[in-house]
Amino acid sequence: MFIINCPFCGERDQSEFSAGGEAHIVRPKQPTELSDDEWADFLFMRKNIKGIQFERWNHAHGCRKWFNVIRDTSNDKIHAVYKMGEKPPSI
Amino acid sequence: MLNINYPKIEKKEFPNLELNLVEPIKKLNLRGKNRDFFTKAGRILSIMLPIEPNTSATIKNISALWLSPDEWMIYGKDIDKNLKISLDSEISKLNLGSVTDISDQWLLINMKGKNVFEVLSKGSPFDINKFKNTKNVVVQTLLNHVDVILHHTDTNNVDLFVRKSFSEHLWLWINDSSSFL
Repeated sequence: MFIINCPFCGERDQSEFSAGGEAHIVRPKQPTELSDDEWADFLFMRKNIKGIQFERWNHAHGCRKWFNVIRDTSNDKIHAVYKMGEKPPSI
Repeated sequence: MLNINYPKIEKKEFPNLELNLVEPIKKLNLRGKNRDFFTKAGRILSIMLPIEPNTSATIKNISALWLSPDEWMIYGKDIDKNLKISLDSEISKLNLGSVTDISDQWLLINMKGKNVFEVLSKGSPFDINKFKNTKNVVVQTLLNHVDVILHHTDTNNVDLFVRKSFSEHLWLWINDSSSFL
């Protein structure tokens, strides 16, 4: 269990949030031009790093807003939280 | 067929805690972002929608609760049909935002007494200490795994909103927890 600092509501327990997977995956501009392998790569393949990872989270039981989190998956330490559309801070 | 009857919630008293169902009471959900939306909503409701997170504004018998940067809940005894019609015609129909009547979706339970925060802290992941010393604070969190909106209206007085379908379950849990105070 850990505390997440929602950029809208403030510090809340992790149980109020739901994880939305890896962040900053760009949807291909012309999906119809992709091969099946490339499309599957976009849909399913994730880095799943042991270490610092950029993730999307949703404050599901609070303000219901999406935002980004930089989290170390090995120890759940959160390095930064930033809103959707903002540039990731350097860490 | 939709069951529109309120669950069996009757006034209950425990040591330093009083629970009461405050229904029927009108509740509206307002959503919008632009300046015209704020101006019109403020003029019709005679209340400025709070923009600071986790806060509320109350004038007479109408309260506006901050739910997210573009969403508010309005509730109170003074909300009538004409107010809803005004909001619909000035906001919804002009596409400035949305106005939804959620009176039957959420149920309002009033909790008052010195032990209010003891009961809430038994089943909520939220740090109630942040909440109990400040009036007009609003928190959306979980209570016994059920979504709730807590509005600290006065000293040791909390308005708790819970979705109607979860209300009986939560009511039984609150009663059970209160019996161990």
